[in-house]
Amino acid sequence: MWREFVTVFRREYLKWVRVPIWVSAYFVIPFVYLILFGQAFNLDKLLPVGAPADSLRPALLGAPDYFSYFTAGMVGFVILTSALYAGTGVLFDKQLGIQSRMSAMPAPRTALFAGTLVFRSVMAVFPAFLAIAFGLAFAHVPGLVGLTVSGPVSAVGVFEIVLAAFLLSIMFTALFLAFGYALDKNEAYFGITSLLNLPILITSNVMFPQATMPGWLQAVAAYNPVSLAVNVVRENLFATEGYPYGPAVYLLGLAAWAALLIALALLVAARELRAH
Amino acid sequence: MHETIVAESLGKQFPGGVEAVRDVSFTVASSEIYGFLGPNGAGKTTTTSILTTLLRPTRGRAEVAGFDVSDRPEAVRRRIGLVFQKSTADGDLTGRENLEIAAGLCGISRIDARPRIRDLLERMDLTNVADRLVRTYSGGMQRRLEVAVGTIQEPEVLFLDEPTLGLDPQGRAGFWKYIRDLRADDHVTIFLSTHYLDEADQLCDRLSVIDRGAVVASGTPGELKERIGGDTVEVTTAGDSADISGALAAVPGILSVTRTGRFYRLKCQKGETLVAKVALAIPPTGAEVLSLVVRKPSLDDVFLEMTGRAYREDEEPNGSRNDRPHPPGRDG
Repeated sequence: MWREFVTVFRREYLKWVRVPIWVSAYFVIPFVYLILFGQAFNLDKLLPVGAPADSLRPALLGAPDYFSYFTAGMVGFVILTSALYAGTGVLFDKQLGIQSRMSAMPAPRTALFAGTLVFRSVMAVFPAFLAIAFGLAFAHVPGLVGLTVSGPVSAVGVFEIVLAAFLLSIMFTALFLAFGYALDKNEAYFGITSLLNLPILITSNVMFPQATMPGWLQAVAAYNPVSLAVNVVRENLFATEGYPYGPAVYLLGLAAWAALLIALALLVAARELRAH
Repeated sequence: MHETIVAESLGKQFPGGVEAVRDVSFTVASSEIYGFLGPNGAGKTTTTSILTTLLRPTRGRAEVAGFDVSDRPEAVRRRIGLVFQKSTADGDLTGRENLEIAAGLCGISRIDARPRIRDLLERMDLTNVADRLVRTYSGGMQRRLEVAVGTIQEPEVLFLDEPTLGLDPQGRAGFWKYIRDLRADDHVTIFLSTHYLDEADQLCDRLSVIDRGAVVASGTPGELKERIGGDTVEVTTAGDSADISGALAAVPGILSVTRTGRFYRLKCQKGETLVAKVALAIPPTGAEVLSLVVRKPSLDDVFLEMTGRAYREDEEPNGSRNDRPHPPGRDG
């Protein structure tokens, strides 16, 4: 089982590095979001002239400015965007007959699924940390706003951020892998993923502070896994203010989401990989 | 000699009602090269998919290497290799990497895989291109890599589904040699589905002819051809000639005459000794002969005999066969 898992993982890796556009996309996506989105779409600039610079602070739950708030949120959004493509490999393997060849081999079906899931999840996490790194770097570039972290982040804090990012990554990777297994047509896959992308973003607290949302949307945003992960990031990067729970509770929520979506994806994959 | 493949009344109906396989029974002995011959759409790939655990039969049962394909698919998968019609190697990976991945998926450790891969690359003449990306391979190289991948776990049974489709004659002849060597060196049982008559004839010890989802005949190529009962003399007359069946049937030694338009098939033994007599029997009828040919029986004739249709009829993918020029008498 372990050997087969490692083999699938290695295959995914080899295929990934041979496609330079993927590799560059991982750097470009977080950069582009922070440069274009983050610099232009800055709620701080909407404040009336003469308003104190930190007027938004109460809504930002401790983040020193909107760009810092947004950059921490990007961790969640970049992971979602990167995971969107998780099912494409399966889709192409199916169309090229590679999946049939692998199905006729003795490798356990769970190894075929898990190798892809873990590789893709790990790959979708990296751009999130690049987003934080770019945000921190922008603070030193004249003319750009950057990410300001309030005080040093503890080792436990770093661990919590990494764990939250990985849980978010593995659940979305599982979800989109499930679509890859379940669907046969590329059009259907990309249709569904782009249909899901925006609602998941909008119903999270990535861009807009939860307090500014209507009541019903606040309820949705509170349980949106992207919000849960972003809460863990913000609680650790900024002085914690106004969060009802500590990071451990949000991590627990993320673990529940991850377990649910991985189980669902495993069912879909097992159904697809068994003989019909 | 024990039976390595047993298929009993296999049937496969797909959701939606298409019955790709209706009634397929045969047995393959250990170390045999067994052919599964039929036109496109006859049910060859579906049968191969059932035997390799990719599809579940909706009727009948099958055993491969001693295990039931429905009850013990994992055990079957440990003992088989599969070579598909289309190349299924990863184009973005090198030939060696493809083999390493295949070995890993068969649970072979990297240390055990290394000499095995070296040996396979050597035997398939791929050593020089082993570290090139597969998408730069020629069609023949890709086919050979496919066989190497299919035999990575030293299977007891190797399934080849139309393995020479798209290869030029030279490539096909070379490929046959690899298959023969594989059987001679490793005693692998080989199940080969093909729609090439000459391939089945030259390569296979025994074969089944499949048509429209059912096996219509099984035996050695020689046995099947013998069933046709000797040679055929084919006579084609000019368009306005009268029916000369009577005169032809009257030639001593001619066993039967079948007429289709101006085309006549005369069954006989030792056709070459009768052709002169046939030629002499025609002028008195006033008919004009366009051609006179002696044919030894081929699997083509076996197919015609068993199904009542000419083999090539079903081979064209488009339904334009009625307005296509074709040999007289071949359109049943």
